[in-house]
This record gives sequence, structure tokens and C-alpha cells, in this order.
Amino acid sequence: MGRYPTWPVHAGLIAVSALMLTPFYWVVRTSVTGDNIFAYPPALLPRHVHLFYFVDVWYYIPFVRFLVNSVVVSLIAVVANVVFNAMGGYALTLPFRGKRAVVLALLAFMMIPFQATIIPAYLITKELGLLNTHLGLALPLCSTIVGIFVFKAAFDAVPRSLIDAGRLDGLGDGQILRLIMLPLSTSAVATNVILSFIWSWNSFLWPLIIVRNQEMQTLPLGLSTFLSYLENTTGALYAFCIMVLIPGVLIFVLAQRQFIDGLTSGATKA
Amino acid sequence: MSAARRWLLNRYVVVFGTIAAVIFSWNVYVATHDDGRIAGMVVGPDGRPVPGATVTLRERTLTTLEPRATVRTGERGEFLLTGQRVHHFVLEAQKEGVGASPRTAFRLYFRGQNFTLPVPLRLGG
Repeated sequence: MGRYPTWPVHAGLIAVSALMLTPFYWVVRTSVTGDNIFAYPPALLPRHVHLFYFVDVWYYIPFVRFLVNSVVVSLIAVVANVVFNAMGGYALTLPFRGKRAVVLALLAFMMIPFQATIIPAYLITKELGLLNTHLGLALPLCSTIVGIFVFKAAFDAVPRSLIDAGRLDGLGDGQILRLIMLPLSTSAVATNVILSFIWSWNSFLWPLIIVRNQEMQTLPLGLSTFLSYLENTTGALYAFCIMVLIPGVLIFVLAQRQFIDGLTSGATKA
Repeated sequence: MSAARRWLLNRYVVVFGTIAAVIFSWNVYVATHDDGRIAGMVVGPDGRPVPGATVTLRERTLTTLEPRATVRTGERGEFLLTGQRVHHFVLEAQKEGVGASPRTAFRLYFRGQNFTLPVPLRLGG
């Protein structure tokens, strides 16, 4: 350590970061200038910057309605993920017959794409009478296998002595989960919150299938509707993209440390 | 650091509190500046005010220009439109025998924002 200068590595990382951030920069730049993305020669620095395209998005479409729908659906998905995934993850830390088969089955099910299960999911949602509702929009995302395994990894790291002490004090499984496991697994909770929020926030295909009217559309659906209104929406379209992206980016930036901790917890165990 | 201070300086509280404060301030500003007053002047090709010119306001929607209001200029070429709940509009002035101004587009930061034209509408331009 210390034999080689670190600046070449940093320079390389900065260059790669700049390269990866270029598309985002271009979206932001177009949203505040309206310049055509295909203009040649491309201007790197924005000229005549203004925020009127954001105003257009706010008034031309029912943005607040879409935003409220997205927030409600994401909140349902986040709460359901934390509750159900924690219960599933805790169950997988307990000894029971066929546990290995269950774990293997869950791992195998992760490989099935959502598109393959979308028709059964639609029929179940229809039978439950949840088509065109917030709960129906959140239903397929209410529990995810990735989230269950994130919780399982975090719960496996909790010392057994704490759980045994809890049992000696008369705690049931629900209380052990709520009073011991979850408070000691904040990173796993943060990871579940961020993943479920981003997945439900960006979900497009499922809302497209079960939403019947504009009142129930979420932001990604609204974005596609907006695209279909008019051709010359370059600036407003990109402004809409920024407005859709901001909540997800904000949540990630605020909780990124716990998110990384949650994803890597258990990774170094023997 | 006390518990209350630590809670107040928590990054979630700071970020979401700042956002809430900005939204509140913006809404207060909007509520006090949204009378929909659009004021301006109409001048002739020689730069002199033109009384009795007709000024037409059209709102720009996603697809079309919708006529919203018409007003005549006063003695000094001035005009005032009130109650206009628009944020993207086009103004045009005309007077028989003098000519018409080019259609000029304006954008506002919220519907009904009080606005004074920075330059007069010039007939015969």
C-alpha cells in the first residue's frame, strides 16, 4: 500500500463516472433548454436556460394525480415488502423439514420473468376485484424473493444467543421478529424499502395492463400518454422524465449507505 | 448533542423539511401573485402609443391556440387583461388602418401570474 500513486485510478474513475453520467446530464440539459437532442454540432453547455417545460408538464397533464397514484402504490409496496419479506426471511432462518427445498425453489423462481406470470397475475387480481385499484397496482410487488433473501442474510447474522434469551423471556416468533430481528437489521430494511420503492415507482407493464382509466395512471404510464399527445415535446418530455426520476434518486441518495450495507450483509460470512 | 437537536439535524428531516418549506413558500408567493393581470402597451411603427387597438390573448394548449380574451388599448396605448388563468399564451394587437403586430408568445411560471410585457406590441412590425 502506498507504493503507487492513486491519482491514475482516481482519474480513470472520474472519467468512467463522467461517461456514465453523460446521458443524465443530457436529459437535464434538454429539460431546461428544449434543444433538440439530435442537433449537430451538439452544444455541451446549455444556453437560454429556463424552467418553463416543467411548468408545461405540471399543467398540460394531470401530473399531481399521477404523482399521488405513484406515491400511494409505492407506499403500499414498500410497507408490504418490509412486512412480508421480513416474515419470509425470518421463517427461512428457522429449522423445518424441507427448508433446503424451499430455498432452492425460491432461488429457481427468481429466474422466471414477470412477463411469464403476468396472465395468471392478471386473472388473480381480477378475481380479487382489484383491477384498476391502488392495491391491485401494488399487488405483484408486495413481496419479492430478493427482499426475502436480503432479510434472511441479515437475520442469519443476528447472534442466536439473543433469540434464545428472547425465547427464555417468553417472546413468541412475531415478537422476536419485531423486537429483536428488525431493530438489528436496519440495513436490510433500508434495502427492502429502496428496492421495492424503485421497482414499484418505475413499474410500467403491470399498470399498463390493469389500469382502465386516466384517473388511476401512474407516472410511467403518464409519461407514455404524454408522448402520444404531441410530437414536439422534447423539452417537456425530458422535464417529465426528471420529475419522475427525482423521488427515486432522492430516496437512494439519502439511504445509500444502508442500501449498500443491506446488499452486502452476510456476503463475507464463511 | 440533545436528542431533539439530533432528530432535527437528521438528513431525512433536513431534506424533506427543506422541500416542504420551499413548497410552502412557493404556494404563498403564488397565492399572492395570481390575479391573472396581464398589462402592456401597443405602439405604432413609429414607436408612438396607439389608442383603440384590439389586443387578443390566445392560450397555447397542447395542440392549439384557444382565443381567451380581447381588450382595447386606452388613450396612452396601454391595456390590461385580468383574471387570465393561463401560463403559456400568445398576444396579438391590431388596428384598422395601422396594421397588426406579430403574434408574440409568452410563458409564465404559474397560471394567473401577474405579468407586464417587457416590450410593447408593435403594429405593422
